[in-house]
Amino acid sequence: MLEIKNLHATIGGKEILKGIDLTIRPGEIHALMGQNGAGKSTLSNVLVGHPAYTVTEGSVTYHGKDILALTPDERALEGIFLSFQQPVEIPGVSMVNFMRAALNAKRKHQGLEPMDAASFLKLMRERRKIVELDNKLTNRSVNEGFSGGEKKRNEIFQMAMLEPTLAILDETDSGLDVDALRIVAEGFNKLRKPETSAIVITHYQRLLDYLKPDFVHVLLGGRIVRSGGPELATEIEQHGFDWIKEEL
Amino acid sequence: MNQYLELFHSQRNLLQQHSHDVLNAQRQAAADALQRQGFPSQKVERYKYTNVAAAFEPNYGLKLDAPLTTDVLPDIARTYYGTLANVEQDAITALNTMLAQDLLVIYVPAGERREHPVQLTNMLRSAVPLMQNRRLLIVAEAGAHVQVLLTDKAESGQDFLTTQVTEVFVGEGAQVEFYDIEDSHERCHRFHQFYAQVAAGGKLTHTTFTLASGLSRNRTDVMLTGKGADVLMLGCVIANGQQHVDNNTLIDHQAPGCQSRELYKYVVDQQATGAFAGRVLVRQEAQQTDSVERNANLVCTEQARMWTQPMLEIYADDVKCSHGSTVGQLNDEALFYMRQRGISEAEAHMLLKQAFASEVLAEVPLEALRQRLQALVEKRFRNCEDCRFCHK
Repeated sequence: MLEIKNLHATIGGKEILKGIDLTIRPGEIHALMGQNGAGKSTLSNVLVGHPAYTVTEGSVTYHGKDILALTPDERALEGIFLSFQQPVEIPGVSMVNFMRAALNAKRKHQGLEPMDAASFLKLMRERRKIVELDNKLTNRSVNEGFSGGEKKRNEIFQMAMLEPTLAILDETDSGLDVDALRIVAEGFNKLRKPETSAIVITHYQRLLDYLKPDFVHVLLGGRIVRSGGPELATEIEQHGFDWIKEEL
Repeated sequence: MNQYLELFHSQRNLLQQHSHDVLNAQRQAAADALQRQGFPSQKVERYKYTNVAAAFEPNYGLKLDAPLTTDVLPDIARTYYGTLANVEQDAITALNTMLAQDLLVIYVPAGERREHPVQLTNMLRSAVPLMQNRRLLIVAEAGAHVQVLLTDKAESGQDFLTTQVTEVFVGEGAQVEFYDIEDSHERCHRFHQFYAQVAAGGKLTHTTFTLASGLSRNRTDVMLTGKGADVLMLGCVIANGQQHVDNNTLIDHQAPGCQSRELYKYVVDQQATGAFAGRVLVRQEAQQTDSVERNANLVCTEQARMWTQPMLEIYADDVKCSHGSTVGQLNDEALFYMRQRGISEAEAHMLLKQAFASEVLAEVPLEALRQRLQALVEKRFRNCEDCRFCHK
């Protein structure tokens, strides 16, 4: 279970998060909506320990552990996965070596031996199919020469390989056409286990139609100003954010 | 320097008795040249980045009465020995010529293709600090083809000083691939003077991998003397601890229609220093020259230092030439991305460094060696945390 309490965070001395409170229980999907600059990406970056952000107040625990005290890789090993809004290209590091390093780090953390080459490649093949990621892409360097949509698919592929317990999807739908969106969303649903929870950051209803969030939160000026069920996303799709601002 | 001249004058007879006429014939001129020049100070352009006198200062033992491996040298040795390695222009070449006792000749007659690479392994082993002066001559006549692999290793943890002079003659349409792999330790100091001449239509591949050493200083001079001659020069340097690696290269385009490609990459970590100075000279008669020179460097700590100096000097008017260099750090965003996937900081660093070096590895033409080098490079980066070079 993820518990965020009164979280404040800054970047370059500027306060972006101004007291976030959020609790996510195993199996729940929470959608995070809000205009650009509201702090959605900041929240996801802070949760995974991006070094550019500084937490100035508040706490975050995951399964009772203070994750703010952990390094980014330790947080990942605790099961937290971020699908990046802008996945990074890493020329010269092959997808195979990258995934092998990540998977074996996880196995080591679990007290398991590294996976043998044959089983690893078999797993790559299986998981690749879930998001219909081309074989040619997994033979390349990480994200190098991938289109915007391929990069997003590659994020979900990595998620499929690493099987996190908390997935943060930061605008995974941006840059995807209708078919690609369906493939990615259905892939995500296939991978989901009863205990998998997720934070879904999006501007659009479409992704939520597939993922069916349990809760929808609206972020404004670094705070959650409104929470509700899936119907809140429908209202925002129809009326935008202004009516929420007016009500405040 | 005087200790070496004194040694030469006092031990000359012993030295000459255990050597060949071919080598003995050039000693006096070399000694005179050394005396005249002295060791180069760092004000000398080609020695700007390495303190030569300091490297030659300690008192090394020198074995002067080693038995010769053979007392016959092919006539070819007399024809070529010392004709490229000019003692007047480099004090270290002069010192080597003054003291070298044995000459290894690789001679490939016209049209002959050597199917397997020739591998030379130098294993340093000594109970006392030791100096050695090595000499290698490679002659590939017209249309000949040979691959030579030189590996430098050191078994005992001792101070070693090596000078090596290599002269390579690539005949018309001949192909020579020369691979120089230094994998010794931090008490090894090596000066390699490499001189090559490539005739019309000939091709030289020169690859140098400095995986581990204390001080490495490589002078690499390649003269393209015939129409359509071709050279590929690759360098990969991995330096950490107090290592110092200096590559100083010259590609001299003397004839029309020649091609040169040069790529050197350095990963400089901890307190290590790296230097690359590469001069590409395109003479007036070298029209239609096609030349690319690039040096890229990864500097991993605040204490590590890298000097880079690509130089392009063109006197012809119809040429295609480029040169460039970059110095950068590990990409923070890439590091974070990897760590978000659970990869530790050390492993992420290793993967990025390896990725950086992989561009040079990919260019290595000899397939089997490429795979071996890939493994050696990975091993070098991986052991880094607990190997003898690290003082963390």
